[in-house]
Amino acid sequence: MDKVTFYLTKEKLGELKKEYEALVDFEHSKIVNQEAPKVLESEDINLEFVSFQEDIVFLRSRINELKNILEHYEIIKKPSKEKQTFVGLGAKVKIEVAGKSDEFMIVGTLEANPSLGKISNESPVGKALLGRRVGDEVIISSPIKTVYKIKGIKYEIS
Amino acid sequence: MKNLVKFFHQVGKLKEMKRTGWVIRGIKNSESIAEHIFRTSLMAWILGSERKGINIERVLKMALIHDLCEIYSGDITPYDSILPKSKKEREKLLKTWPRFSSKEKKRLSEQKFKKEKKGLEKLIKDLPVKLKSEVMALWMDYENGKTVEGRFFKQADRLENLLQATEYWKKDKSLSQTSWWDQARELFDDPFLLKFIEEMDEKFHKKSKPII
Repeated sequence: MDKVTFYLTKEKLGELKKEYEALVDFEHSKIVNQEAPKVLESEDINLEFVSFQEDIVFLRSRINELKNILEHYEIIKKPSKEKQTFVGLGAKVKIEVAGKSDEFMIVGTLEANPSLGKISNESPVGKALLGRRVGDEVIISSPIKTVYKIKGIKYEIS
Repeated sequence: MKNLVKFFHQVGKLKEMKRTGWVIRGIKNSESIAEHIFRTSLMAWILGSERKGINIERVLKMALIHDLCEIYSGDITPYDSILPKSKKEREKLLKTWPRFSSKEKKRLSEQKFKKEKKGLEKLIKDLPVKLKSEVMALWMDYENGKTVEGRFFKQADRLENLLQATEYWKKDKSLSQTSWWDQARELFDDPFLLKFIEEMDEKFHKKSKPII
């Protein structure tokens, strides 16, 4: 696996740790007891467990993926007061694009979900916003020019 | 076996169902959902093979099932709730990527998820439990981007859409490209797919670039 750093919010880290422990438990029970433990309540996760029951190779690869993340993560923290005027990881950025308002939160790749306004720090827009301040205009130009005007920056993480 | 016949018969409907994004823009003879699935699957396989740590079998299955829910939910776009009736206003809106408040993004996203999940559940309800669970788990992964395959495929799916938009623009230069490129630059973060987009930009926009 690649040795990259995964930037995570505290909430996401908790979620991943919980999943990792449940899957390790599940694998152990499957190998030792030959039966599936009743570890999780969520309907969605239970469905995955039915899948894992059939696909031990995928179960192992998911455990490895999680292990790799948990060995190479960095928590996204609120920056010092002076740095809070700049866009950084974890910042909520109010922008104006083509006369319309939008708001992004800059997150690591594992938490990116543009439909919910969570933009990856490795995406072209995420990258371009990093280090900028209120009043700056960020221009992304190829093939179409789009101007992102930064209207506000706040950090709601602890 | 009877249930499988019914399932495949229903899936066949995707060959006739047009993708909403093209219909609302008035593109004639536009692609069907099945046609989109076909090329997305090829892209997921071939581009996925270039990426380290991707389980190709999983990503291919994900590609094949990712839009099955649309048989019942329809092809939902971010424009649906704000599309004006007047043709002029509609054309104006479609030239931009829609922007919503955080609250509205959450509401629309949940609404879409619920409708599509319900559609998929209806389609697969009579399938064998093992298969049903696999399809649902794959779809949930695609939706939530939980595994490396889910995150990669979400972008491969958008990449196919971006390529199609670029091809339609080649035929008709009045088709605004802003919404696709704005979405792409906020969504893609896979280095290999970003490189692919750069190549696409170079290939298609060598002679002329879209202005809107």
